[in-house]
Parts: sequence; C-alpha cells; structure tokens
Amino acid sequence: MSHPSELISAYLDGELHGKELATLTKHLSSCGRCAAELEDMQRVRSAVRSLPVLEVPGGLVPEADPVVVPLRQNRGFLVGAAAAIVAVVIAVAAALAPDPGSVSIDELNSRFGARASLDPAFGPAKIVEPAVFGE
Amino acid sequence: MESIPLTWEEVARVYGRKIYNFAYRLTGNPADANDLVQEVLLRVRRGLANYQPGSFEGWLWRITRNAFLDDVRKKQRRPTAPLPDEVDRWDLASAEGADIEYARLSLGDDIQKALLELPVDFREAVVLCDVVGLSYEEIAAAVAVPIGTVRSRIHRGRKMLRDLLS
Repeated sequence: MSHPSELISAYLDGELHGKELATLTKHLSSCGRCAAELEDMQRVRSAVRSLPVLEVPGGLVPEADPVVVPLRQNRGFLVGAAAAIVAVVIAVAAALAPDPGSVSIDELNSRFGARASLDPAFGPAKIVEPAVFGE
Repeated sequence: MESIPLTWEEVARVYGRKIYNFAYRLTGNPADANDLVQEVLLRVRRGLANYQPGSFEGWLWRITRNAFLDDVRKKQRRPTAPLPDEVDRWDLASAEGADIEYARLSLGDDIQKALLELPVDFREAVVLCDVVGLSYEEIAAAVAVPIGTVRSRIHRGRKMLRDLLS
C-alpha cells in the first residue's frame, strides 16, 4: 500500500484540492499510520505557529511621519485646517491621476488584517502550553 | 508623477514586524535579525525606484529571502554564529521588561532551536508558511521553485521538526 504522506502537510494548510484531496481523505479513513502522521504534523504546525510574535526593536523601523505629531499636541485650528487642505489636495490628485498598478497602504493593511482575523495563529502572541512530543 | 507604490518607510511600518519575525526565526538571534531587516529595507529602498507593478508581496519576500540567502552564504565562508546560551543572555540584558520578554522567548526555545537544525531550504519554507503566513503559491514565487517543491519542503521540514522535538 502506498502512503500519500507528502500530501498531509498540504492538507493541513488547506492547499490540497480536487482529486488529491479526495485521495488523501479516503486514504486517511483506512490507514492508521497516515492518520498518526497527520496528528504529528498538526502538532508540529501548531507548535511553530504558537511561537511568540516578536516586536521589532525600537529604532529598526522608522517611526510614523513626525509631521503627524504636532496635530496630536493640538496646536490649534490653523494646523488642522492646513492638514485638511493638504488632505484634499492629495485626494484630488489621487482621483485625477489614478495608478492602477500601485498598492495603497490601506489595501495592504486590509490584507494584513484579514489574514490575522482569519487565522488566530497570526494574531498577537498568546501564552500557550508548549506541545508535548512523543509519549 | 512617480509611480512608486509605497515609500520604503511605509513598507517598513507595514511589513517591519513580519520581516523581523522571519529574520529572527531563520537566524535565531536578534543581532543577525536586526542586520537582516536593515539589509532588506536597504534593498527595498533601492529597488522601489525600479519596482514594476505586480505582486508587491511576492517582490518583497523575494528580496527578503535573497538577503537571507546572501547572509547565509557569507557566514558559511566566515562562521561566527553565537552559541544559543549567549543569545539568551543578549536578549535578557537588552530587552525592555526583560522578565516578560525572556518568558516569551523561552516558551519557544526548543522550537526555535529545532528550526535552526533544519537545512536552510526546509527552514525557510516552514517559516514562510507558519510564521509569515504565506500561501504555497506565494512561497513558490518568493523562493522561485515549483509549488510541488514547496509542498515537499514544508512536509519534510515538519517531519524533521517532529523528530527533533520528540
């Protein structure tokens, strides 16, 4: 009996489709060895995904644009108005000169955020019990 | 008007944490991770001028893993990797809220050490999948290998991790 072992990780990652998915699902229902390997791989996958998400050390990545800082300190109406005018100018410029090939920061954030919300493993670090391997 | 999609600072802010975690899990120590992130951001800064609209993440992760591979090749010529004990002390001494940070890091210590035992190709595939969260297709694009190779590397990498952790 041949064991489609290499399909197991792809199956766990949701990367198996069509005929291969059907083949593995059928095989798993009757093969104890592959079912055990599936459990092992699930445990390893969870262990790696449970690694704490590390914060970037300060200074490595540039902070937000310093121009934003005075606005937070409430320097008054003029600063707000100036910012609003700049925002309008940028919005108009963007509307007049669309660039279909570019990637906006909102789009990236939404992709990034979507992945985090879909898969809890990519959310903030959690304290979890380390997986125990072997008997 | 230039058609640069993002400034390198924006790339750094949006992707900095992912690139740092990729770098840390592949190199296993903060000093090398810092160097790698800086190198990636430098390459992004240079490369954005010639960036062709397309898969931005594919482009970014290609740059990132190439920087990592160049670093590996450089170190193979001049091996100076610190011992794991030294790495832990470095973290403890430098991190803010050292106790909390140390607890967080030691939680994954055995997994991190096992990752470093994997051959580079397998380690990279597992980290891109399970730490960065890329799909097999995105990994294939970043690493420039067929999807079947990605699948095989991830599975074999996980099997090695199982054996190392048992």
